[in-house]
Amino acid sequence: MRDDFTSDLTHRLKWLYLLGVVAMLLSPVFYVIAISFNEHGFGARIYEFTFAWYRVVAGDTILLQSLEWTAYLALVTVAIAVPMGVLAAKFYRRSRRKVPFLMLMLTPLFVPADIMGSALLVYFKNLAQICEWLGDELGLTFLYGWFELGFTTAVIGLVIYTLPYVFIVILITMSRYREQQTEAARNCGATAWQAFWHVEFPQIRPGVLSACAFTTILTFNETVRTALLKGGFDTFSNVLTSQMLNIGMSGESYAMAGMMSMVSMIVIGGVLIYSLAAAERRERQARARAEPQMSA
Amino acid sequence: MFGERGLQRLAFYLPLVFMLLFFALPMLLTVVWSFFERTQFWMEPGFTLFAYENFFTSARAENYLYSMFHSAIAVVISFAIGFPIAVFVRRRLPQTAQHQVILLFVLPFMISELVRVFALRPVLGRTGPLNTFLMEIGLIDEPISVLLFTPTGVVIGDVLSFLPFMVFSGFLAMEAVQRYIFEVCDDLGAGRLHTFVDVIVPLAAPGIFAGSVFIFVNSLGVALVPTVLGGPGAVNAGLIVNQAIVALDFPLAMAVSAIMMATLILLLYVGHRLFDLTKIIRPIS
Repeated sequence: MRDDFTSDLTHRLKWLYLLGVVAMLLSPVFYVIAISFNEHGFGARIYEFTFAWYRVVAGDTILLQSLEWTAYLALVTVAIAVPMGVLAAKFYRRSRRKVPFLMLMLTPLFVPADIMGSALLVYFKNLAQICEWLGDELGLTFLYGWFELGFTTAVIGLVIYTLPYVFIVILITMSRYREQQTEAARNCGATAWQAFWHVEFPQIRPGVLSACAFTTILTFNETVRTALLKGGFDTFSNVLTSQMLNIGMSGESYAMAGMMSMVSMIVIGGVLIYSLAAAERRERQARARAEPQMSA
Repeated sequence: MFGERGLQRLAFYLPLVFMLLFFALPMLLTVVWSFFERTQFWMEPGFTLFAYENFFTSARAENYLYSMFHSAIAVVISFAIGFPIAVFVRRRLPQTAQHQVILLFVLPFMISELVRVFALRPVLGRTGPLNTFLMEIGLIDEPISVLLFTPTGVVIGDVLSFLPFMVFSGFLAMEAVQRYIFEVCDDLGAGRLHTFVDVIVPLAAPGIFAGSVFIFVNSLGVALVPTVLGGPGAVNAGLIVNQAIVALDFPLAMAVSAIMMATLILLLYVGHRLFDLTKIIRPIS
């Protein structure tokens, strides 16, 4: 039997297949981006390059406002989900009962957006009623308005959605970190925070930065959970969804979809390049350490 | 009340408390709310099986089963396309290049699902580039209309939306299949099919199962795909929940969510008992 490892052609065909699948996944997105730069929009026989649709988007005040809200949501979600992901990863590594915690952290990945969003919607509406009742009964007026649908409830929904991704990314980075280094730092008199900040954090920084980027992109792209939990404001993807479903694919919708895709590609592409460079640097350092010392 | 050490220890419990309070509890409560009585705009505490009766005696149950069938097809296609990639990367590429190649699949996964699904509309349409290309190369005489606004469109949308996850979970699962195992199989004269079915699949079963459950449940529960690509008759569990929320029938929405969660928990429990799903994450923990 011939081993295909020795067959260059089979190896190349497998590579071609792999790249073909990536292209298949990305080609519809590139097609949308291409249309977004066509003056005549989708289905036109002639292609004339233009930024006109993007200028329309940039001049739309409702869209710009929705973009602003999306940016606030992303900022707050990153500020909560990433530190929480670090805490969760550290808790998991120390925990003796790993399976239940792991299940709890990763199950949101498996729960579809519509199911989780609707469950949280009903939960928050109930919590808001309970808070109002408690406010009335106990005279605690500050409880009024708690858990009313709005920015806070949208952030909670997004943190639940993004936390499993953050947890996994940071756990992967932490798996390369040796706990003995923390012990050594503590033995030298460092507090737990100093040991974390000066010894552990620099080593898990690439993972934390990747988690920040992933959380931003996931928040930016999320539609269903925010639509159900946001209350009275609109996010960029909510506006895009309502345009697509109610008006259809206009030139402006293509430009909005193109913008979302390009932002995702730039951020994730940046993270990939950064992590590849970091991996190469680590490998170079490991090789240098492994080289035998020449005697003088 | 707490010292510095106590506060630090408490901080580590924060994610656990948060997830219990805002994820596990609402999900469990869907079962309770599904028994509540519907009012004009909301619901009130009580015990009625009306929502379940409404679900099982209407076309919704049939639609749910149909969407389970379509989701199963999406799982099989995703496995057929995605898992060989995971095997190829683990078996044939140098250790250092493996993660870099898998990262290629992060890019499509991280682009908005909304954009990816909507992008398929012009691509799969009668005048879209796919039909135009197939006609230009003479493979078909007239555009294929079955690709859009049909169950086929939904399956295509599900596969293209969730395929990267099969590659990721397959890649993690292939950690359990060391390279020497392939060499042993070759030395013993096992054919490729034998090696794949009798050696690789059983060893990588936890990852294959996790990827399959992810694709199955999301195909069943993400309303966007049938809304955009499925046409008027296409429904899945997520869409039933959405429609119930819009109709202010909250107990029905919660009943469907509870059925969906029960399906998910059952699948994960059976999978964990059979394959020990924690094996997937063991290399990074």
